[in-house]
Amino acid sequence: MKIGLTRRRALLAGLALPAFAPGLAEAAQSIPIGTLTPLTGAGGAYGPSMAKVAKAVVDEINAAGGVLGRRLALTSEDSETNPDAGVKAAHKLIDINHVVAICGTWASAVTTAVAPVCWQSKTMLFTVSGADSITLLPHHGYIIRTQPNSHLQAVSVADFMAARGIKSFYSLSVQSPFATSVYQQMGAELATKGGKALGDTIYDGSKTSFRTEVEKAVATKPELIFLNSYAPDLAILLRNIYQAGFSGPRFTPGYAATPKLIASLPKPVTDGLISYAPSPDPGSPGYKRVKQILGTEPDPYSAQIYDHVSLAALAMAQGKAATSQAIHDNVRAVGNPNGVAVTDAVAGLKAIAAGHTINYSGASGPCKFNAIGDILSSKFRFDLVRNGKSTLLTIS
Amino acid sequence: MIAIAQAIVNGVLAGAALAVPAIAFTTIFAVLRFANFAVAGFATLGAYGGWLVNTRLGVPAVPALLGACVAGGAAAVIVDEAALKGLRRRIRPGEAALAPAIASVAATLLLENVARFLFGNDPQGYDLPVFRDWHIGALAVGPQQLADAAIALVAMTALFLFLGFTRAGRTMRAVADNPGLAALKGIDAARVGRIATFAAGALAGLGGMLIGFDTSLDPLLGFRVMLSVFAAAVVGGLGSIPGAVAGAFVVGLGEEMATLVVDPAYRTAVGFAAILIVLSLRPAGLFGERTA
Repeated sequence: MKIGLTRRRALLAGLALPAFAPGLAEAAQSIPIGTLTPLTGAGGAYGPSMAKVAKAVVDEINAAGGVLGRRLALTSEDSETNPDAGVKAAHKLIDINHVVAICGTWASAVTTAVAPVCWQSKTMLFTVSGADSITLLPHHGYIIRTQPNSHLQAVSVADFMAARGIKSFYSLSVQSPFATSVYQQMGAELATKGGKALGDTIYDGSKTSFRTEVEKAVATKPELIFLNSYAPDLAILLRNIYQAGFSGPRFTPGYAATPKLIASLPKPVTDGLISYAPSPDPGSPGYKRVKQILGTEPDPYSAQIYDHVSLAALAMAQGKAATSQAIHDNVRAVGNPNGVAVTDAVAGLKAIAAGHTINYSGASGPCKFNAIGDILSSKFRFDLVRNGKSTLLTIS
Repeated sequence: MIAIAQAIVNGVLAGAALAVPAIAFTTIFAVLRFANFAVAGFATLGAYGGWLVNTRLGVPAVPALLGACVAGGAAAVIVDEAALKGLRRRIRPGEAALAPAIASVAATLLLENVARFLFGNDPQGYDLPVFRDWHIGALAVGPQQLADAAIALVAMTALFLFLGFTRAGRTMRAVADNPGLAALKGIDAARVGRIATFAAGALAGLGGMLIGFDTSLDPLLGFRVMLSVFAAAVVGGLGSIPGAVAGAFVVGLGEEMATLVVDPAYRTAVGFAAILIVLSLRPAGLFGERTA
């Protein structure tokens, strides 16, 4: 078989090149950055709005002149809330798009799978996943987590339970990296206040009935059932718990008890459900901007990804290099308590260009991280479902 | 003892829910001789079809099951005509029907995304009241699960009557038993294939809606149960309708009984171990004569 460059092909190639050239030039100058949010799967209620917020921040930064005079080029991939799909998408972002950072991994199982791909290629990973084990991985500083870790969440939930006079609970948890640790930490915290953990069952979230698991929980006669679930399995559990005749309080993470899920279930099934979620700072300008972008009250993860993109841009500007290493080295420096207070990336980039140190506080609150990448503090909101509607109980 | 009895009750009800889509899967295998994994997609689209009729047109949930049958059947015929039929024709006698089976996996992903595009990712629910369990002695039984099992039984009976007492049903059985002989007798295999595909899609849609009654409706509804449905059809013997029913009960009971001895997190694994044992003893399945 003859393989060669004929004159006709050479001519066609020559004609085609100028058409691609502007794109190539722009690609060379722009700074690639990626999002890996759950556009589909169990986290599909959050991923699209997270990607939308990330795009809006990138557009704002680009409209104001970019980072170090270069535009940000955003690529948004779908993790499918599935570790395998997440790893494939991360490889694509790193090996093909050459991103300086991946923002917005959501499910702990996905983040756990994607993290080694990131640290081995020295690419920054910003995540909203809560499992303690994530930041305990040997990531060499390439993970930043804006979501409070499981421990911070478990302690907060147990304190809330104790304050409402709850003395015992049973935990039903979907198979996940945080299932056991959250139960143990909640039990330990409640024990310090005279309460007791009665037991836990870890279930397979792909099933269509959890009657056996629920019967096991109800048999221990708990005052409260803690449902460490995702939305699809929570829907089944709430039905099964109601059917089993349990009418005490049920407690679940806010990411599972989405407004759409609550609206989709019969009112008696959801009545009395309490959800908790790390709370963004509703008074902050960043939060108001995210609300404006989405046209609705933002979920915590959309607020957090606003900060992921902003932190990546600011850290590169601070380090004067459009690289992942610059983000790695400077992500804590842009939250300098002695710096100029800024609440969005554009203002921060201007302040850095003017030679100031900055103290960035974004949509999810102050962005201060410890040595392993965990956020140092967070507010929590607790919501109660009554008559099919979720209403705020308290932010603490 | 009560725990064993309760696990049996739960297992039987879980098996009844699996039986309808498992029959759909095995019907297509019997008549068209390939594993159509797009049954998961037909179940999902059927569940959404029934949901539209139930919540948008205000038809009560049980009559709205007809909407699920129509949507599931229509999706099955469209997918078959557009993608799978052409691939089936290229299979030479004696060759494994791999291409249409793999194409059906692609089709189920496509249908899942059609559902996502049309209805979004958020869970939806049927307009259906919820009831507390009935307690019979120490046993708890859900009225909705009982109703679902009864509906599944009615659907299965209707299918048996269709296959046994109608001309279309008899031609379908003839093609399933011996396609060569059926062709010699002048039976139009393509037409029979379309009827079988529609009937299977309708059953899958019905099964999808019944599952949606107890869970919530989202684009992954069919995909979540596909492995168990496939397992039920294989255990029962691919191509055997009574086998699919028996297989569904083996899978349902196996998974529930497993929770008596191991943590519920492992029940799928134990259920499938039971399936391996059945297939080791009877490779063609409980009622099967052919292997995949």
